[in-house]
Amino acid sequence: MKVSNILGLNARTQLFAYKYNTRRGKRIADSKLQTARILKIAGVPIPEIYKKFRDPRDVIDFDWINLPSSFALKPSRGLGGEGIIVVKKRAFKKDSNKKELEQSIWLTTQKTRVSIDDLKLHALDILEGAYSMGNVPDVAFIQEYIGRHKAFRKYAYRGTPDIRIIVFNKVPVMAMLRLPTKESGGRANLHQGAIGVGVDIATGITTKAIWHGRQIHLKPGTNRKLHGIKIPNWTLCLETAVRAQIASGLGFLGVDIVLHPEKGPMVLEMNAQPGLQIQLANMGGLKKRLERVEDLQVRDAEHGVKVAKALFAERFADRVKAEEGIKTIHIREVVKIMSSDKKMVEVKAKIDTGAWGTSIDRELAKDLGLYKKGEVLWYKKSVSALGSEKRPVINIIFWLSGRRIVTTATIANRENLTYKIIIGKSDLTGFLINPEM
Amino acid sequence: MRRTILLVIFVSTALISFGLGTRLLKAQNIVFSPTPTPVILPTPQETVVPASDITQPTQETLGPLEKMLEEQVLGSIWPKNPIKYAIRTAVESGVPANTIVLLLLLPVIAAIIAAARHLIGLRGFGIFLPAALSVTFVATGPVVGIGLFLIIIMVSILIRFILRKVKIKLQYLPRMALLLLFVVFAVLSILFAAPIIRRPELTNVSIFAVLILVLLAEDFTRVQLGKSAKVAINLTTETLILALVSYMFLTLEPLQKFALLNPEILILSVAVFDFLLGKYAGLRFLEFWRFRKLING
Repeated sequence: MKVSNILGLNARTQLFAYKYNTRRGKRIADSKLQTARILKIAGVPIPEIYKKFRDPRDVIDFDWINLPSSFALKPSRGLGGEGIIVVKKRAFKKDSNKKELEQSIWLTTQKTRVSIDDLKLHALDILEGAYSMGNVPDVAFIQEYIGRHKAFRKYAYRGTPDIRIIVFNKVPVMAMLRLPTKESGGRANLHQGAIGVGVDIATGITTKAIWHGRQIHLKPGTNRKLHGIKIPNWTLCLETAVRAQIASGLGFLGVDIVLHPEKGPMVLEMNAQPGLQIQLANMGGLKKRLERVEDLQVRDAEHGVKVAKALFAERFADRVKAEEGIKTIHIREVVKIMSSDKKMVEVKAKIDTGAWGTSIDRELAKDLGLYKKGEVLWYKKSVSALGSEKRPVINIIFWLSGRRIVTTATIANRENLTYKIIIGKSDLTGFLINPEM
Repeated sequence: MRRTILLVIFVSTALISFGLGTRLLKAQNIVFSPTPTPVILPTPQETVVPASDITQPTQETLGPLEKMLEEQVLGSIWPKNPIKYAIRTAVESGVPANTIVLLLLLPVIAAIIAAARHLIGLRGFGIFLPAALSVTFVATGPVVGIGLFLIIIMVSILIRFILRKVKIKLQYLPRMALLLLFVVFAVLSILFAAPIIRRPELTNVSIFAVLILVLLAEDFTRVQLGKSAKVAINLTTETLILALVSYMFLTLEPLQKFALLNPEILILSVAVFDFLLGKYAGLRFLEFWRFRKLING
């Protein structure tokens, strides 16, 4: 990969975070409570907040006994997932053999016992600023506990995995599933030893995994594959992330999404300076992707997700290549295009390595139901022998020589031409072309 | 913000006190004793420069920096020499040349530390801490400086560990205050042990050096509490490396000479360098290593 495709810390700060993130947005992202407030107004789902502690009196006076059996105690401005106590259930009484629940003692997700006094002291520590940047006084709050979704039960160790989605200009550009490990102590933070798993934007299926910056294929200590996990509700996850971005006022950010077992995706927090390890987990350069969506006019979350799915779909080319070898095709091929009502339509296509991308005839696209209002991703300026014009770009799925290709196509007037579709070089990875007519 | 201001105050006071201190030992050719060199020399029997002008009674104790200033021939004040003239007047009225040199070199080491982060990828604890530490090293010598620092860190880790094991639950600020108490006690006991250890720099340790070291130890323990021991050790090592490199630049004689004799060029070029550095958006050196699999793959 070209070095210029990779996003480094300097470029992240200077080209994206400085340029697109407002001061107000950063202030919101830095505080979990402000994030929750803004998202609630915007109607983005968030875990419920039971209680906020603004000064020590609140902590002393609070009715701790009546808390539910599971919750999380967090600092509003904690750094890197620090200072969070998550309790899962009430503990059994220690000295009695009967299985009797202790009202004032809970068990954390890491199976340690915490009493009301421990919680009070922790809350006071938070107020004192023990976990905030620069030790400035902070606010503590108690939040709804979100358990593990059953899709991740076998993969995460004693903690709730989350999905980090980087959103830029209303388009989700890269995603990573973060799995807590024994070492990370239930936290989904890569620096603390959690596993980062790359996710294909188009399908929500995991691709590659990293642990401590190295690639792994199996969950450590087991022989459970980390690729091929399907994240449930994927499109909704992406749309939730984009809606959070729009609400925050930040142009470029990382959104952490948790999957509530019943209520679906919720935003846990936002990060104005998201980490760069996500590139290793996806084996892809973030800078190139960001540059591709930088100037797009995106209407809303739905549109942004559509654009992302078309642009950043993994070709799964590596695996395909390994399984069937490189395919040879001719310059004329019959492709099967998927119409809007999921039917395959056979069309003669020209394979044209001189063209950058795929282009389809206007009438054909209309007949297939691919070219109509709401389906246009954006307009592309194209210069041809006939002068320059703006061509609409749509999402298209077709089969070429048995391979499924998900990509974008420009709409052009090819009425008088033999081939109603030409396939350009950007969709020809993994093919060899035989030029004999 | 408040910490930054505090640091600036520490650095400047340390500089001034240090400058005053070294004025007493100006006879030696190397002004800032970098490695353990015998420090306190009786002032009267120093190399006597034959006095050419009786109206300048301080001439016989001139240090090498002041001598250099004397030897430089200057043209008109504007446009090229305003700072040079200002320095000259200040030195003549008693401001130690060392202080001026250290102040002039401070932006240089700040630029070096910034470059280390943005071009190489060494982080350290911000920019002021390594800079302050390097000045501390100038004052105490690197060996004693690092030694003191390691002791302070070990004490603070130990106390933290004991507090956790004994399960004494204290609130955050009282806990930090207790920590500071033990750290101070450790430094004191080292000073008490000075007659046994017999390192001359030890007897000269100034309060500002100790304060900066304590400050660094606080940063270390906070990172250790917040992130992990590994991150804390990495950051501290990087800070120490940065401080040592800065220390070498601070004590580099040609650079000192250049700063004193060409302050205008120095300040201007540092400003241009800082500006260019701030605009650099490429990968850092360590990021090539971090993303090597992406680049090769």
